[in-house]
Amino acid sequence: MKKFLALVLAVAMVLGISAVSFAEEISVANAADVWAKTWADVDTSEHVVINYMTTGDAPTTGANPEMLEMLNKILTEKANAEINIVWISWTDYLANYNLRIASMDGSIDLIGSSTDWLDAWPNAKRGGFLELSEEMLAKYAPVTFATVPAEHWAVCTYEGNIYFIPEDHYSQWTNHGWAYRLDWAKEAGLQDGVHNWDDLTVYVKYVKETYGKDLLAVWDSDGTAYPASGYISSFRKWRSIDGIASGALWGGYLDDPYTINNIFLDETDLLVAYAKLMKEWDEIGVWPTDVLSNTGADNRVEFRQGKVGLEQHHTQTWTGLVSPKADTQNTMYLTDEDADVGFFYWTEPAGYVCRDLVTHGVAAVSAASKNPERTLMVYDLLRNDRDCYDLFNYGIKGRSYDINEEGYRFTPDSFSSDKDGISTNWWWGRNDDLEIPSAAMNWDAINALYDKYEAEAVMYPYEAFVFDNTNVQSYINQVNETYTRYMKLICYGQFEDAEEIVAEFQAALRAAGSDEVTAELQRQIDATYKN
Amino acid sequence: MSKVINPALPGRKTTFGRKFWNSRVLLLMCLPAIVYFIAFSYAPLPGIYVAFVNYNYRLGIFGSQFVGLKNFEFVANSGKLWMLTSNTILFNLAFILLDNLVAVVVAILLKEIQSKMFRKVSQTMMFLPYFISQVLVGLLVYSLLNSDTGFLNSVLTQMGAAPLRLYKNGDPWPFIIVMVHLWQKTGYNSVVYFAAIMGIDQEVIEASMIDGANGWQKIRYIILPSLRPTIVILLLFALGGIVKGDFGLFWNLVGRNPILYQKVDIIEMFVYRATVSDFNFSTASAVGLYQSLIGFVLVLAVNGVVKKLEPDYSLF
Repeated sequence: MKKFLALVLAVAMVLGISAVSFAEEISVANAADVWAKTWADVDTSEHVVINYMTTGDAPTTGANPEMLEMLNKILTEKANAEINIVWISWTDYLANYNLRIASMDGSIDLIGSSTDWLDAWPNAKRGGFLELSEEMLAKYAPVTFATVPAEHWAVCTYEGNIYFIPEDHYSQWTNHGWAYRLDWAKEAGLQDGVHNWDDLTVYVKYVKETYGKDLLAVWDSDGTAYPASGYISSFRKWRSIDGIASGALWGGYLDDPYTINNIFLDETDLLVAYAKLMKEWDEIGVWPTDVLSNTGADNRVEFRQGKVGLEQHHTQTWTGLVSPKADTQNTMYLTDEDADVGFFYWTEPAGYVCRDLVTHGVAAVSAASKNPERTLMVYDLLRNDRDCYDLFNYGIKGRSYDINEEGYRFTPDSFSSDKDGISTNWWWGRNDDLEIPSAAMNWDAINALYDKYEAEAVMYPYEAFVFDNTNVQSYINQVNETYTRYMKLICYGQFEDAEEIVAEFQAALRAAGSDEVTAELQRQIDATYKN
Repeated sequence: MSKVINPALPGRKTTFGRKFWNSRVLLLMCLPAIVYFIAFSYAPLPGIYVAFVNYNYRLGIFGSQFVGLKNFEFVANSGKLWMLTSNTILFNLAFILLDNLVAVVVAILLKEIQSKMFRKVSQTMMFLPYFISQVLVGLLVYSLLNSDTGFLNSVLTQMGAAPLRLYKNGDPWPFIIVMVHLWQKTGYNSVVYFAAIMGIDQEVIEASMIDGANGWQKIRYIILPSLRPTIVILLLFALGGIVKGDFGLFWNLVGRNPILYQKVDIIEMFVYRATVSDFNFSTASAVGLYQSLIGFVLVLAVNGVVKKLEPDYSLF
């Protein structure tokens, strides 16, 4: 009898599950029906303003006010809400961002965040973000809830609560490397461009000798980029765990990712080789003499203007540099008709690339928000509604952008960024299903690189891991301090002897408690993955 | 007036209420200062508790989990606590002593200037740097001293000398920092002394002149002794903050450059560098509390010494 009952139950469950999957699948195509059905009984009688917080400088010109007016009309109609953007300007953005979340005064509702470049997890653990239950998401953000797969919700979950919504359906690559002038590399004899550090050294030497007098610097660095772990990842298939410390110190080799190490303690030879190379670069004069105090520099803008020859950032940034029309500041293409920009990504020599985390961009609801339900409704609309999406991402059709016959987005001739440009920094809810590719992008170059990436891409191995830092945060603070101190010296060749400075750095890391952190990470990684 | 100051009439007992009522005008005049200190110094005192908890935004300071001295660990563990504290104190000692010395000298010099016009102009010029933001001061110093385009090195290389790589050598920086500090603060500091000098009874000075005192003797025997209470009180006040470093000055001059900061590191700089990526109120408060406690002990100690030597000048 018991067995029979169990069988009946099992059959019923199987039928139940398939019944769900037979129902029409929710997607952006039928979003309007889903909202009409799911939101029918939601009380939206009170008109509310949803304050959306993002990092970035508030635009002082452009069409943002008009765009928001049009958008708010739609949002009012569909959710009786409107959106207002709260900007956290780039100066000291992380401190101000965290401070705003900590103030808990109800002045923000929707928060753009990230687990690798903004403190999503620390803020969640400190009580800044509202826990989002599945019922809540299914009710108020039904389209997003249905289109984000369960395994992606799982990586946004900590101690049983979902803390944010991942921007998991948007193609981009944010692996780091060097953007360089491909035309100059060819002049230097590198016909295929730069593909490893030796090529790059040939390149910087050539640029310094040939163009040194006309440029501000080969790389007008402000001394805050530390490519050391990038160098090591050119030779070893290794991936860091994001969001542990200010640098990429802890991680694992891809063939055994759950054995955790501190890469700077394990790869002494590579670190010494890197230090020697940077000493050579310092002697070549790649950066200004006082690079460590060169705080006023804006190398990216200078690169766009053709005033420097090297920029250190990720692929997504490079796509904007290689496309002449992608940015009005890309004036190098006007002054130099041969100008072309190549990208050497750090993991290229080792033949792999790690996919982005799905939590590279996430949206959270402030724990102090007075209207969390409506916040989720607005998010669902912005992410999945054609009209809202276009307005919020591209602006006003016919003014900010237009669509050509091939379906590409372009800026009309009448466009002026002062008059018609918009900016919302919406990096937490973009959606490939609604993206309109831009005609301004150099798709030939970009797709060539993307194809290469797709061929060698590996998954980020620590997606399901959320670190509980309680026991070791004081060590991590020490390590951060040590790391930054020595990285500045090592990455800019500011030392006498490479072996000596690396040994000193490693001793300082150990003294700061690096081994304790490694042990704690290993313990928690084991608990997560070795069940 | 005498009625207010000495309200007790013969045969009447002075109660607190009566005293309060009789001093109402004076108290009213004090009110802004009293409100200020209650609002900004006494009311936030319970907040010190945040240094002992694992602060959670939603649970609040008193709802968060108590963790004892854990927040103090990271400074203590650094092995740098002594070096940082002594650096901070030594820098502040240099600031306090030189500030007052230079300010007194400048105030006396200003007093001796006969042309009123010239005195006003020089006072204004000295006062100006006080109003410049530390960020700009940092940029000014950088454009003066940097290797590639700095003013100093341009001059040096023009004259055929080797450029000074000041941003690649930490040794001169204690000196540079003290000089910049003096340049910025002397004008402001000298005002207090200048006012004190102006307050000295002119008859005493005139009498000494008639008795044949020369300029130096006038300064040595009349002006300086008259300034003594002011000097002592200002020194006492300054000592309370001796463990608190001038973060704005150090950060903007030295910033993130490790070649420089390893020579001039102070508590604030270390804490900022170590916790800027952590955003932890609790550790920051723990360090603040540590600094306040040392400052408190120092003020008590110095006040005790002053009380022994010059009972009239002690604060309490």
